[in-house]
Amino acid sequence: MGKHVVIIGAGAGGASAAAEAKRQDPSLAIVMIEQGSQVSVAA
Amino acid sequence: MPYYIGDVIKDEKSLIARTPEKFRESGIEVRIDTRVEEIDPVKRLVRLAGGEALPYDFLVLGTGMKPLMPGIPGEEREGVFTLKRLTDAVRMKTWLRDLSCRKAIIVGAGFIGMEMSEAIRNLGIETQVFHRGTLPVNRWDPEFGKWILEELGRHRVGFVTNVETRAVEEGREHRLRLITNRGEDEADMILMAVGIQPATELARQMGLPLGKTGAIRVNFSQRTPQEGVYAVGDCAESFHRVSGQWVSIPLGDIANKQGRVAGGNIGGGKMIFPGIVGSQCFKLFDLEVAATGLDEREALQSGFHPASTLVWGNSTARSMPGNKKLGLKLIADRATGKLLGAQAVGEMGAVSRINTLACAIWAGLGLDDVGWLDLAYSPPFGGSWDPIHIAAQALRRQI
Repeated sequence: MGKHVVIIGAGAGGASAAAEAKRQDPSLAIVMIEQGSQVSVAA
Repeated sequence: MPYYIGDVIKDEKSLIARTPEKFRESGIEVRIDTRVEEIDPVKRLVRLAGGEALPYDFLVLGTGMKPLMPGIPGEEREGVFTLKRLTDAVRMKTWLRDLSCRKAIIVGAGFIGMEMSEAIRNLGIETQVFHRGTLPVNRWDPEFGKWILEELGRHRVGFVTNVETRAVEEGREHRLRLITNRGEDEADMILMAVGIQPATELARQMGLPLGKTGAIRVNFSQRTPQEGVYAVGDCAESFHRVSGQWVSIPLGDIANKQGRVAGGNIGGGKMIFPGIVGSQCFKLFDLEVAATGLDEREALQSGFHPASTLVWGNSTARSMPGNKKLGLKLIADRATGKLLGAQAVGEMGAVSRINTLACAIWAGLGLDDVGWLDLAYSPPFGGSWDPIHIAAQALRRQI
């Protein structure tokens, strides 16, 4: 397993970070935490 | 979200760029409805409410912003809304529809207040904007503020100036009553759009430094001073390429770019977020309202000697039917002739002019270049001298 990435907040910034990190290095273990009930919403 | 509430966008699902399932398919675990209790930067653990602790090699803070409240009694009453999450928008739309609301009050005349005034008015609801100042959207200068105010009036949105809110009470004819220094007004819903602040509780708790703006300090790679810890989006600062200062401008397009940069660096790449020039726009009924760069006050604060000019030009060639008035203001530095900022308002072509000028400001062009730019010309889209040329040459003569 690759390195552990924790992303806090799944808005525009967090969601883009998660997607790009995974694209660059598929071995990363990424967990995205969101306080609300939706992710990646267009404002 | 204003377009969803105004029912221009019917389905809230279309606002979701990627669902949790999509993330999971690409191997990213998503936990919704999950709160972070605290972060231990020494053991490098994220503790969740409920006790679970997640270890990290890399941490990204994308905690966003939170709406400010006026801090008055009764502001927590049902029917008083803020707009941050999609769930707020869904609740507001349901409230407006299911209670067949007839009157709404929006407190605040920033661009969220403006977009929402159009959305709610277009649902056939009597709408008033309560503002602490005299003209809407202070990102734009008073010449444009007056035009924006006329546009609100033309669409029968009320605008009450110099308001201090005092309390929200239960109404008699409508559900709520807002008490202000200007009297008492009833409404079926109240939207508080008085401002926002970066959400930085976790950052502070783990000892990350904040900038002067109150947002998290980052460098051009979106790194914070703690190893492996990044911050992106509304909770983080951005570098303003014109003022040379770190600023807090919470906009979704900036958040997207910063997120991509942080993600790229975590994935082993070397990515740089090159900063912003402060471009933004919104639509208000028939008007396009747009700006980029600095206004004169910001230019002065950043050590420039600004001069400005405002031209009232045409969105298309003057002879074309359907031509609309276009107001364009340019701000430049007296010492160097460099373009520092631009504002435009009009029913057509304001945003496209500002996007052109954003490129010019990004590239550091001066008025001598901007006045002669080779822009695409055809009568339906502009005169052979575009308002951009006219304004730049007028300002060049002036300084």
